[in-house]
Amino acid sequence: MKILIVEDETALSESIAEYLSKQEYHCDVAGNFHGAIEKIEYNDYDCILLDITLPDGDGLKILEQLKEDKKTDGVLIISAKNSLDDKIKGLDLGADDYLSKPFHLSELNARVAAIIRRKNFDGKSIIQFENLCIDTQKKSVTVEKTPVELTKKEYELLLYFVANKKRLLSKEAIAEHLWGNEMGGNFDFIYTHIKNLRKKLMDAGNADYIKSVYGMGYKFSSQ
Amino acid sequence: MKLIAKYNRVNIPMTIAVLLISSIAYYFILHHVLLRQVDKDLRIEKQEIIHHIQINGSLPETSNYKDQQISFQPTNAASFKEKFSTQLVYNKNEDEEEPYRKIDFLVTQNGTNYIATVKKSEQETEDIVRLILMITFLVIAFLLLALFITNRFLLGKLWKPFNHTLNQLKQFNLSSKNDITLDSTNVDEFIELNDTAISLTQKVKSDYESLKSFTGNASHEIQTPLAIIKNKIELLSQSEHLEESQVKIIQSLNDAASRLSRLNQSLLLLTKIENRQFEDKEKINLSAVLEKRIENFQEPAVLKNITVEKNIVEGVSIQMNDSLADILLSNIILNAIKHNFPGGRIRIDLTENSLVVSNSGDEPKVKTIELFERFKKESTSPESLGLGLSIVKTICDSYGFDISYQYEPGYHILTVFLKN
Repeated sequence: MKILIVEDETALSESIAEYLSKQEYHCDVAGNFHGAIEKIEYNDYDCILLDITLPDGDGLKILEQLKEDKKTDGVLIISAKNSLDDKIKGLDLGADDYLSKPFHLSELNARVAAIIRRKNFDGKSIIQFENLCIDTQKKSVTVEKTPVELTKKEYELLLYFVANKKRLLSKEAIAEHLWGNEMGGNFDFIYTHIKNLRKKLMDAGNADYIKSVYGMGYKFSSQ
Repeated sequence: MKLIAKYNRVNIPMTIAVLLISSIAYYFILHHVLLRQVDKDLRIEKQEIIHHIQINGSLPETSNYKDQQISFQPTNAASFKEKFSTQLVYNKNEDEEEPYRKIDFLVTQNGTNYIATVKKSEQETEDIVRLILMITFLVIAFLLLALFITNRFLLGKLWKPFNHTLNQLKQFNLSSKNDITLDSTNVDEFIELNDTAISLTQKVKSDYESLKSFTGNASHEIQTPLAIIKNKIELLSQSEHLEESQVKIIQSLNDAASRLSRLNQSLLLLTKIENRQFEDKEKINLSAVLEKRIENFQEPAVLKNITVEKNIVEGVSIQMNDSLADILLSNIILNAIKHNFPGGRIRIDLTENSLVVSNSGDEPKVKTIELFERFKKESTSPESLGLGLSIVKTICDSYGFDISYQYEPGYHILTVFLKN
């Protein structure tokens, strides 16, 4: 899986690259508009992370270029602006998703995974983790072919955990993934969902994959 | 006290005093002048008498008319100095004493000396003086009346540009795009006032604009370093073999960075609302949006064991940006949950005209109106930024909705008066 990170802030692109590389993605980094155009021309990426405010050009032009070249690379726009107009314009120009700064790397990773999943329809809508099987098309979960009935939130939570397996997910990142950032600073209510999800998975015969880490967050891991 | 009242308080007594003093002075001067005139007449009379004696060698006949009396009195004095004097003489007809001016002088007829006395009534003089005084008092009365009428009618008109300017300044709104419009006037003072008012409001406005754009720009610029900090913390937290104490530090860092991030986003949001960067696309169904918001916040409410009662009139529609409506309702509901007791109550009423959200809670420590101010907060918990209600207020202001926050024993009541 190849990913292009178009971001002029080196510290930011480094962090993204480091996180995504551990998820077994191959990451290229372009620090400016021209570098990005060049890389896009010679490579096909599964997903492009695009900061639209670049020092030497409008990031949205890259989207137009992709459309012109009839490329089907997935695009996730990253913006510091959090402006609805940019979001709409970007999505109109063929971007797949929009994320505003600052974001959690785990959130970015989950979004990238979702984009890549949507781009590849050839049977890759099935995510397998140990004996757990998630069909993202049917939105169904089975453990050893036993269906597990999950609520919408629990399903989203599971998908998020699986996308960021073996990663420590802070309560805040989980809460923001499930509810956006409108809940203020209180994340206590995610506990109920995690408890229920854990119980349902264990009832279906799974081992306890969801591990609490020093009260800071949770890790989804088979070890 | 009105300026005119203050002015009149000095002006009217001054006018009356000046008029009184001048009329007294006038009286004496006039009296003096008229007396001189009478004296002159008396002297002419004296000449005539002397002339008469010289020509006829006899004393003229004494006369005793009302306005002029001549009499002679033999005297032994060899010399007598001419003397003018005023004398009161009883008038039988009118039963009053009348003033007479008289001249006494020495005449000699056939070797006999006489003191001749010519008297002239001063009554006429007195009448003239009296008339003049009466006219003076009439003038004072008329002047006061004129002053009153002027104040009443002319001044209102004169001050009109001033009052208009004052009204415009009262209605001056920093966040509105319109400048104040002032009536043109040809009064120098008002022209100066208007010029100053215009330049002052423009200055205030441009300062406010630059302050706002500073907030906006600063918040934008803060986003990227914040993103870096948060992402680095996240990477750090992924490190293998972290000790618990290290995790605690990382968590504190993360909490602080998150709080800063939320603060920044809220400030950006406030700036965007104030800059009217949200478009009003169409009418939205507020009832439906509210139902959805309530459902969204069910979990935190349930977690706190809060009972939510709702009484929502269906199909309340309103011209409003849908994101702002979401933010407005979310903030109000979240506020009602946050500042509630565990096991408390929330009641949400929506009608065509108002949205009322009341929740159980402790009495606020600050005045409820102050809770709309930025960074005024009740709780000291780090979760609370003190911007929630300020965002609510800013949204309401930008749509012209009135908002009130009251505390009635045990209950906080927030009311938004919707205006369609």
